[in-house]
Amino acid sequence: MAIATLAGTAPDTAAAISVRGLTKRFGEFTAVDGIDFDVPRGQVFGFLGPNGSGKSTTIRMLTGSLAASAGRAHVLGEDVLAHPARVQRRIGYMSQKFTLFKDLTVEENLRFYAGVYGLSAQQYANQRAYVLEMADLVGREKELTANLSVGWRRRLALGTATIHSPELLFLDEPTSGVDPVARRQFWDLLYDLANQGVTLFVTTHYMEEASHCNHLAFIYRGRLVAEGTPQEIRERATGQQILEVTVANPDAALELIAKLPQVADAYLSGDTVHAVFQADVGEQVFAESLIAELQSQGFGEVSVVPVEATIDDVFVSLVSPERATPARVTASRRRGRPRPRRRRE
Amino acid sequence: MSLHRIRLIMWKEFLQLRRDPLLLRLIFIMPIVQLIFFGYVVSADVRNLATAIVDLDKTAISRELEADFSGSGYFTIESYPQSEPELQPLLDRGEVRVAIVIPEGTQARLDRGEIAPVGIVVDGSDSRTAAVGSSYAAQIVARMNADRITQQGLALSGPGIDARVRVLFNPSLRAVNTMIPGLVAAILMLSVMAIMSQAVVRERESGTLEQMFVTPITRGEYLIGKVTPYVLLATLQMSVVALVGIFWFRVPFHGTVIEVAAGLGLFMVTVIGLGLLVSLASHTRQQAQQTVLFIMMPMMLLSGFIFPIESMPAALVPVTYLMPLTWAVLLLRGAFVKGVGFSAIVPELAVLAIFAVVIFSVALLATRRRLSE
Repeated sequence: MAIATLAGTAPDTAAAISVRGLTKRFGEFTAVDGIDFDVPRGQVFGFLGPNGSGKSTTIRMLTGSLAASAGRAHVLGEDVLAHPARVQRRIGYMSQKFTLFKDLTVEENLRFYAGVYGLSAQQYANQRAYVLEMADLVGREKELTANLSVGWRRRLALGTATIHSPELLFLDEPTSGVDPVARRQFWDLLYDLANQGVTLFVTTHYMEEASHCNHLAFIYRGRLVAEGTPQEIRERATGQQILEVTVANPDAALELIAKLPQVADAYLSGDTVHAVFQADVGEQVFAESLIAELQSQGFGEVSVVPVEATIDDVFVSLVSPERATPARVTASRRRGRPRPRRRRE
Repeated sequence: MSLHRIRLIMWKEFLQLRRDPLLLRLIFIMPIVQLIFFGYVVSADVRNLATAIVDLDKTAISRELEADFSGSGYFTIESYPQSEPELQPLLDRGEVRVAIVIPEGTQARLDRGEIAPVGIVVDGSDSRTAAVGSSYAAQIVARMNADRITQQGLALSGPGIDARVRVLFNPSLRAVNTMIPGLVAAILMLSVMAIMSQAVVRERESGTLEQMFVTPITRGEYLIGKVTPYVLLATLQMSVVALVGIFWFRVPFHGTVIEVAAGLGLFMVTVIGLGLLVSLASHTRQQAQQTVLFIMMPMMLLSGFIFPIESMPAALVPVTYLMPLTWAVLLLRGAFVKGVGFSAIVPELAVLAIFAVVIFSVALLATRRRLSE
């Protein structure tokens, strides 16, 4: 669970990714603040954090499309900050957005990226067959990708990102906006890649997905706050009991709930309030007292249900030392506390 | 720098263009619409003005005057009212725009060596028609006077005033001769800026840029591959405009292709740079669109392309020299109509070269910065 003390050591050139003191500043704002981590080859590495915590910025530096302000980063044994071109041929990248050309057909997209990576005609023929098969797009080669539904787009994007058989694949929220069934199918494809020895660097928001990884790292406000196996992370989260409170005015309700003595922690989660309470208080008893309290304060219709800890809840517990007292809850929220993302597509 | 990857980007750019029927139509229809607009509508010479002649003199001189008017091509004699009261309703109803009233005794006055007044009535409801119509009419009368003087060997103090106007370079005063060369430059600006400004911002919005930049594609390769197709298209557009101008509108071409190509090449680099800058500065396509309008409107109005710089307020004149389009228009008009030769367009070429180097360098620097963010 503790963060390995890698700071100050030399980057591990045998690792798929080795980062030391990596920093990115945009003007006054420090997006990534001196992070250190290693990703061994062949690992499925989950990189987790709320919006704006520095996940995508880190990926962009590691893929050579963004210059770092300070620190070192070795990818596949090469210094990616100094020589991005040496790395770019050997890595793949799949964004949370659909970043293939929508006004080009499936085949044209494949041909474009195969050409960019310099595949020979023979290699292209093989890879094309493999990708079409994998993405379940055989017979739809001439279709514009704009006409494909989300699930197919995801798989085509994965196929395109791996058309040059990369040794390392970056996936930035690869399953955002995908239904649970399609998400599971997508992870089957990722496991196939992992079994072929491809190292996967995945960011995600789903706890269920995070548990697919061999190793997790949590980033918050540009800093790594925790690292460990999914098992270790879950243990940290299991001590928590969470009630989800749905009211018309969650901001006002949060202030009230946070002041209650039984509540260990409270924060906004989407349009609801999550109240973490001590395990020795009975769930049913607490829920009823919460409803009574809110209604006596004129909150009208209140619904309270127990929920499983999500990634966001784990985050909150991981970063709670930084949040000091419940009185700061609303203030810290404005500085970008974890909230479940609105899905965009 | 890989030629192979540049070709791939061009290939995909052409494919996308082919799939964008609106843009494609715009690219081919725009020059044609502009040609019609500037060639016929804006620059339309006032021709065939409906004219009435009230001949109260019915002499040789009045018939001569009438023949001169109808022969000029600017006036079509529609009716011959017998008196001035009969003329008024024709003007009121707009059936005629111009009337020439030749009073009784005109011939006699001239014979006596007096000045003979001839009335020219112009419908002033369309100021442009009125201005052009009356000046043509005055010219015709003046020319006639001059002819009479030379024919009859009269002294210069004889009847009539010699108001002969000599017009340089464009003796027919055809506005189209000044419009079309300017239009070649304006079309280049309109189409390249409109498309270039959208190009990068669109790829950034959709995320395709992000995807390309994690591959071996470099910024330089991307820019060249992205710009080249539009340079080719713009060249095609300009050629169409220039050729239609020369062969359909019969605009004289006295210059050389090299002069024109050099000037347009420099201007094109400038405009591509401007378009790129807009694209890089904008976060959305709407922003890019508005910014382009914001830049293009003053450029069009202050370049002397539509309104002559000489007629602008003195305070605005220095501003007109900051517009790259001003210099492109100057150069093209010089090359087309005047055929002034290479040495005479050196200043224009030099200024255009400065614009091209400065603006394109800034655009390249901005590209490096913005695309690495």
